[in-house]
This record gives sequence, structure tokens and C-alpha cells, in this order.
Amino acid sequence: MLALMAPSVVFVCLVFVLPIALFLFRAVDNSDVPRALPKLALVIGTWNDGELPPEPVYRALVADLTVLRGSPELAILARRLNYALPGFRGTLTRTGRMLPASDVPSAKDALIAVDAKWADPEIWAVLRQQSGPVTDFFLLTALDRKRDVAGDIVPVAGDQAIFIDLYGRTLWVSLGVTLFCVILGFPIAAAMARATPATANWMLLGVLVPFWTSLLVRTTAWVILLQNEGLVNRALIWLGVLDTPLQLVFNRTGVYIAMVHVLLPYMILPLYSVMKGIQQSHLRAASSLGASPLRVFFTIYLPLSMPGVVAGATLVFVSAVGFYVTPALVGGPRDQMIGYFISYFTNSAVNWGLASALGAFLLLLVAITYLILGKLVGFDRLKVR
Amino acid sequence: MPFPLAALGVLAALVAAGPAVAQQRQVTLVNQGGAPAEAQRVAVFEPFTRETGIRVVVDTYNQELARLRSQIETKNLIWDIVSLNPINEAAGCEEGLLEKIDWKQYIPAKPFEAVGGFGACGAPYLISPGVLAYDSDKLKGDQAPTSWQDFWNVEKFPGKRGMLYQPDQMLEVALIADGVAPPDVPKVLTAPGGVDRAFRKLGEIKPHVKWWRSGDESMQLILTGEVTMGYGWQGRVLAANATNKRNLKIVWPAGYVNAIIYLGVMKGTPRKDDAIKLIQYNLSTPAMARYADIMGLPPANADTYPLLSEAKRADLPGQYLDRGMMQGGSTYINFWLDNGDAIRQRFATFVAQ
Repeated sequence: MLALMAPSVVFVCLVFVLPIALFLFRAVDNSDVPRALPKLALVIGTWNDGELPPEPVYRALVADLTVLRGSPELAILARRLNYALPGFRGTLTRTGRMLPASDVPSAKDALIAVDAKWADPEIWAVLRQQSGPVTDFFLLTALDRKRDVAGDIVPVAGDQAIFIDLYGRTLWVSLGVTLFCVILGFPIAAAMARATPATANWMLLGVLVPFWTSLLVRTTAWVILLQNEGLVNRALIWLGVLDTPLQLVFNRTGVYIAMVHVLLPYMILPLYSVMKGIQQSHLRAASSLGASPLRVFFTIYLPLSMPGVVAGATLVFVSAVGFYVTPALVGGPRDQMIGYFISYFTNSAVNWGLASALGAFLLLLVAITYLILGKLVGFDRLKVR
Repeated sequence: MPFPLAALGVLAALVAAGPAVAQQRQVTLVNQGGAPAEAQRVAVFEPFTRETGIRVVVDTYNQELARLRSQIETKNLIWDIVSLNPINEAAGCEEGLLEKIDWKQYIPAKPFEAVGGFGACGAPYLISPGVLAYDSDKLKGDQAPTSWQDFWNVEKFPGKRGMLYQPDQMLEVALIADGVAPPDVPKVLTAPGGVDRAFRKLGEIKPHVKWWRSGDESMQLILTGEVTMGYGWQGRVLAANATNKRNLKIVWPAGYVNAIIYLGVMKGTPRKDDAIKLIQYNLSTPAMARYADIMGLPPANADTYPLLSEAKRADLPGQYLDRGMMQGGSTYINFWLDNGDAIRQRFATFVAQ
């Protein structure tokens, strides 16, 4: 038994657990900085107050930069430190170009002559905070927080605070989408479960064909349908329902419409399989004992289909939380979700630490939702049957 | 022949063909796809392959520097030549993602001086102007905008505006609208208070803006009338007119933002010589003229202009060269490398409020 399971366990570890662990580690990994500035990392701890650091610290920096001069490592270090303090990149590359000789009488004066920023305690505070092998910088940034010169955690400036709002929006939109999917999916699944096999097959096909269509195609189709000159608005105007086109796309409405459409099959399919298993005799027994149809529904049918609702809602919610292509295409700038920024920091800004930190909190968000859901409806019901 | 033997025969044929395919020289180039890439294939790559026998494989990307870095870090190079915007050319060069090449040894430098000359790693091959565009079938006479001030004037020109969902280019446009002469924009933007001024100006138009993210989307907004006028890239405007038989018009005198696009060689590629050969060919006057004739984008090689047809020259900024703002120069590039992340974050918050 164990021998049979081993390959799949190894497989899951290699392609699932390990990458996620590595990726979570990136959110705190800071080895780039001490590796590039080894001498500085050793001595910067000796400096402790808001004043400028002593001469040996300046000398260590000059020695480290002499090794790095002209190499790509210097540019990568500069990019990394620039995250913490905009402008640090420029200071560092300029210093690398006009580096004083290592035997100048005062490395401190020489560095300050190259760039006056080296006389600013803030730049040294950043260097000290960033010189350890691990850092909380990315995690704090993902929560719109930073450390000030004294090392205390403070909120970032208002025009830089962006991520907390994004998490809230992501959660809110995902919950909304899940709710709409339950409301729309339940009657469809119930009708499918009660239909004759032939009809049910046709209905299933109707659910599966969009499910198999590319996400991008479906999303773009919604843009074409919903835009001001689109089919929906034209039809409504032609029918005399509207005078001016309704704004249906590039806003929250568009995001809801497209996301609910994309995710609806994830709701219907588990719900259908659960409803299919509900014994019709239970319902008949309830009616024959005098229960009204409404009572049959609420005391028998709904509780019995609940596992399907929970399974479907979990699937929909977890997928919705990670969405970014659809909101990017059919939403406005107020509708972007956290996934968009994770992709931006991964691909365009090459800030993998921040991308990992954002992802870590997203994972946490999903885990918390799962725990709450589990507490509310019972973990044994969260299984997809 | 029994079935397994037939299969074996096919296999043998494949094995025999393998080395022959591998022996054919080829380089892989990545650009941003779309109409410009198609024009480059016809005007540059096909004749290049005919003349040299070197095949050109084309891939597309969206200027994601991360995709270069991951290839370098994993030592698994898929690309040999990369098309780069000015900021990525500088960053990729510094961070060791691109080969440092002294292009003067391969290509005459003089015709490229007007666009700022060769980079430390990349050679400029085209200019992509970002312009004020509108549908001239819908807006006529004094209904048509003539300046970025008109773009900002929603009273006289009611309706939505299309703008690019990113701060670089949009802050520059905002400064032009605020009265800065286009050639002075880099100086004003990088000076203290420049960014605040640009954001203040953007704030005035923000409630009326539809933000777009791709070149296709920018034209779709204007073509369908979702916006009255919009910011767009010249190549996309010309392509939109050609494929849809429409009359979108560019307001050159309003001022425009020039992005210079470079070609660079991936660090450590074994096909460096062939890559340089292709870039050399791409930048040569006849190839650039063929490309400009199809695409209508201003060539980076100034010697190309006399070879262009009269009609194509009419599409180019021509007499309005002084109205163009150049996204280049070390002050400007370093400014974006130092402050880009912070400004982009500020922009995202600003737009969402």
C-alpha cells in the first residue's frame, strides 16, 4: 500500500508543496543584500543611533562596492534597495561609478562628496534594516506598512497605500460572485437533477460547452456584448427600454457579469451531483405526511443539497479570489483585484519578494475563509462528492 | 511491412531528419506582436532569411523584464534578440541581462543621432509616437480637437477620454496639457515638484477617463465611440484605419510622446554573431524603409526618410518634429528607474480613488 502511494506522494511534494514553500520563503528572503555587502553586514550592527555611522562602516561599504563595481550584482542590489527607498538606486549606481579609492583618509567624507545622500541617516537606517538574511520588508509593504528610521512599524504615505484596499475589494467581489453563483446555480442544478436523462444531458452540455471554452474568449465576448454599442444595449434601446446606453462594462457590473458566467459551472456541477443523489422518496414521504411544498424544500431538499452548495461555493470563492484576467479586461481601475498586482510585480516590476508576500496573504485569506466556512457548516461537509 | 516495423521506419526517418533541422541556422527574436510584428516579418525577416539562410523565429512578450531574467537565471535561453523600451534597455543592460555591444563597429552611427544614438546594449530601430487621436467622421470643423488643452476641455468637447493605464507617458501628456513645451517635458517632470504637477493635471481629467491597457483596446474605444478622443500609439491608429476603413485622425501639433524601441542581444547567447547580423540588417536603410512603408512608424534611421513614399511621409509627424517629446536621455531614464515603482503605486491609488 505504502509503496503504491509513494510515487503520488513524492509527486505532490515536488510539484505542489515544495514550490509553494519556496515561493513563501521568497517573501522573507533577503540573502541578496548580505551576499552583495558582506563586510557592511558585519559592521553595520555597531551603529545604533540616529546619527551618522562611524568611519569603519563607510570603509566597509567602499570595500564592498569596490568588489561589486561594474557588475550586474550592483544593479540588482540597487534595484532591491530602491524598493525600500526610491532614489537609492541612483545613489548606489552613481557611487559605483565614482567610487573613492579604498585608501582615502576618510571614506566618510569621500562618499558624501560623491553623493550627499550618504550624509542622510535615512539611507543608513534602510541599509541596516535590509542587511540581515531575512526581512519583514515585503510582508509589511503588502500590508501598506513600513519601518521608519527608528525601526518602528508605521503606515506608508496615503498615496502609496494600496494593498489593504485591494484585499478588501478582492474579498468583497469574490463573496458577491459566490452569492450570485449560488442564487443562479441552485435552480439550474435542481432542474437538471429532476429532468429526464435525455434533457439532463442536453442541459449538462449547455453548462459544459462554456466551461470548455477559453476564459479569454468568454471574457472578450462579454466586452463585445456589453459595450455601449454592443448587442445588449442596442437591443434594449431598440425595444424602447432605454434611451441612452447603460454602462455595463469597464465597471463593477461588468466584472460581476463576466465572473459569474465564468465560474457558474463550478457551482452547478458539484450541486448537480449532490442533488442527483437525493432520494425522491424522502420528498414524497414529507408531502404525504402533509408538509407544504415550501416546507418540503426548506426542511428536506435544502439541507440535503447543502453539501453541494458548500462544495460549489468553496470552489467558486477560491477561484474568484485569484482572478485577474477577467477584472483586468471587463473592469475599470476601481475593479482590479489583488491577482492583477501579483502578476504585475512578478512579470513587469520583477519584485518577486513583494509578489510572494502578496500571494502569502492571499493564501492566508483563503485559509481563513475555509476555516470560517468549516466552523459554520462543518468540515465533513466541505468535501466535494 | 508489419505495423511495428513501419513505426520503426518513421522513427528512423525522424532521427535522420533531426540533425538536418538542427543544423539550419536560426535566431529567435521576441517583440510585442500585433501589426508591427507582422510588418517586421515581411519587411525584415523574410528578406533576411532569403539573403543569409538564417531562419528567424518570432515570439511575443509584453516588455516583462522578468521573462528575460528567468531565462538568464535558469541558463535556459529561449530568445536571442529582444525588442525593448528605453527603460528596459537601460535596466536590462545594467543588470546583466543583455550583451554589451559597441554598435558603432557594426552600424554607421550618424543616422541614429537624432533619436539619441545607440545604447550600451541596445540599438534603436523604431520610434513609437503616442498621440492624440479622434474619429474625424464624428468630430468635424471646430468640433475637432487641436490640442491637449482641448482634450482636457470636457465642456467644449463633451464625452469620455481614452488614456493609458500607466503613469509613464500619461504624466508626460499631462504636463504637455499643462502648457509645458514637449521637448521640455523630461526636464520639468524630473525636477522637484514635476510629478505632483503632472498628477494635479491628471486629476482634472480623471473623472472623464476610460483607462485602457492594450493597443487594441485603445482603438476599440475610439472606433465604437466609447470615448470622444483618446491617447493612442500611432502604429495602432494607422492599423485601425487600414483594417476598419475608418478615418481616425492624429493631432500632431498637439504634441506627442516618442518611445524609442531598441533591439538588444540576450546575455550569453551562443548565436550572438547571427543575432548581431540580424540587427544590423534590421537597422539598414532599405529594410527600415520597407518597414516604414508597411507600418507607417517613423524609422530610427534618419537616412530612411528620403526613401519613403509621399503618402507615407504624410502619415509621419514631419513638420511637427519639435512637438515630440523624447522618452530618452540618462536623466529621464534614471528618473524612471529610481522612482518608477513608487510612481506606479501612486498612480494605481490615484486612479482607483
